[in-house]
Amino acid sequence: MEAAPSPGWLIARQSARFVLRERTVALLSLMFVVLVLISAWLGWSATSTVNRIYLDAAAFLQKAGQPVPTNPVLDISPLSLMRNMSVYVALIGALSAIVIGNRLIGLDRKAGVLPLIGIRPLGRNAYAGGKIAALTGLILALGAVAGVVAVATFLMLPAITLTGTQWAQLAGFMAITTLYMGIFGLIGLASGAWAKSETVGLLLPVTLWLTLTFILPQLTANLNPTAAINPISALATPPDTSFFHWAAIVLGPVSLADAYKFASAGLLDYLPQGIASPSFNPPVLTLILASCVAAAVAWRALTRLSMTQGDYNV
Amino acid sequence: MSDAALNPVRLNPTPVRTIAAKDIRDALRDRFILIVTGFLGLAALVALVTGAIALRNDVATYEAAKASLLALGKSADAIKAPEFYPLRLLRGAIEQIEIIGAAIAILIGYRSAASERGRQTLALMLTRPMRRWQFVAGKALAGIGLLAGGLALVLGGLTLLLHLMSGIGLGADDVLRIAVVWAVAVAYTACFFLVSFILSLHMKQPSHALLVAFAIWLTLVLIAPQIGDTLDPDNQVAGGVFKQLNIAKPDQIEIMKGFATFETVRDGIEQASVTKHFERFTFAVLGIKATYAGMPLGPILIEMLGNLIWIFLTALGLGALALALPLNPDRLAKA
Repeated sequence: MEAAPSPGWLIARQSARFVLRERTVALLSLMFVVLVLISAWLGWSATSTVNRIYLDAAAFLQKAGQPVPTNPVLDISPLSLMRNMSVYVALIGALSAIVIGNRLIGLDRKAGVLPLIGIRPLGRNAYAGGKIAALTGLILALGAVAGVVAVATFLMLPAITLTGTQWAQLAGFMAITTLYMGIFGLIGLASGAWAKSETVGLLLPVTLWLTLTFILPQLTANLNPTAAINPISALATPPDTSFFHWAAIVLGPVSLADAYKFASAGLLDYLPQGIASPSFNPPVLTLILASCVAAAVAWRALTRLSMTQGDYNV
Repeated sequence: MSDAALNPVRLNPTPVRTIAAKDIRDALRDRFILIVTGFLGLAALVALVTGAIALRNDVATYEAAKASLLALGKSADAIKAPEFYPLRLLRGAIEQIEIIGAAIAILIGYRSAASERGRQTLALMLTRPMRRWQFVAGKALAGIGLLAGGLALVLGGLTLLLHLMSGIGLGADDVLRIAVVWAVAVAYTACFFLVSFILSLHMKQPSHALLVAFAIWLTLVLIAPQIGDTLDPDNQVAGGVFKQLNIAKPDQIEIMKGFATFETVRDGIEQASVTKHFERFTFAVLGIKATYAGMPLGPILIEMLGNLIWIFLTALGLGALALALPLNPDRLAKA
């Protein structure tokens, strides 16, 4: 006789199916996939344009009898073609993850099934574990789609060959990308469970995301919001003042968008020489620590969720 | 004296004014608008202060370099003095309004429509002797009024701070420029308010409407300008491609003539977004874009008229759409 699936697995499977039926989740996920494809095209298009500009400029300089500098494209690693993906992950990837996390709880609350689940023979831990497992599965799926697009791009472009190390770096980038989305998914999950109002449940993680993406980089590196979403401009050296030194020490370890940006630039080989993350914490370590904290917060919110909860307030 | 004599709304209780006044009272009572305005104010303040600190550092570095050159008996003309236009310090704040201001407008639009549906009061209100367009107009006026008030507070606070900390103070022309930026910022954020309001009023589930509105916000505010910005060849190489190749500005223009189609496509992607029009207009009026620094306001307004028309036509078009769309009886309550 086949063993019955565990309650946690049942919750995870049912929740993931339920969320995948949501049209808004499908819309945001589709946007993410389209933007990942666009990022591959943008990387290729922008690099080839710079190359053509160089060829024109070289001819111009030769004609003027001036020395011709080396082609900046030759200094660019092929991995950096994917640099725009880091921006889209930080924008739409994080927002999709928040929505997925929020919906995983929101749908149960809106459907009024929490009291029904509460009377079933399963513990709060199984419910929390099931929801986190569902979120993990969905975020891994998003990460896998982005990974497939990245791999397909490198395999299809004829002039590009990656070394074994570069493939490993790409795998590392996809891993931190999934981790970054996972952090926001967990925050969305926690907020969806904790909030009394559906709007607040969505608003809190979105506000946190706005703060991390657009306000903290300004404090740690004097980076204006539009520069923060350009993969190259975002890697600026902070002004050499005591204010920015202190801001980096105090806020650097929690500035997740900065950490993701610098980790991506390091792994995709587009981090300019002499520029480093403003935080004293290595970026990847910052992301790992943040995911542990987010998982703990989500676990606490889920295990303390009142199973008598009905729909949200207005 | 009776209450009616004190309250202008009661003296002339047209449905539009009554609904608008009630919505504004509700919004102020639950402190939501104060919280989101505070958040925008904080973001703008951070942008202003960090920009000012960075500028002060540039000035100190210049002064130190100048003193070193003079001590060596050399001319200080070799180094370029940092330019100081106080209004340029508003760059970060304008970008925060561009992004966070638009997001706040979406939230206000969502709440304006969703609250009536959630409290099941929409159907009740429509039984009152008023036309449906009056209900929509009242709600829209209240939302845009709240945005105008919030933006006035934020920009007013920044103006005062700039006046006090710039060291040279702001003149009447500077204040006028900020007032022009405020008016355009109201029209710009009204576009996002109306998108969210229309969707929340007409989609089956208001929470889905909020997410769709955020998807539109992402596309118009962040993605379209980002694509245009990324395709800018000068943003592809750290420090700029032409700077790395040591090519002077006139020669850059000559070389870029061969990339006219590419630049047209890039510009077209940027132009598709109302955000880029807002950015171009405000950066010109405030002299943030170097070519407009020190230029009188009149010629700037004439040159930027296209951007201004785009922003106001988008807002007016969305306003007309909100008034024209009939309310669906199936959408009167929360799904």
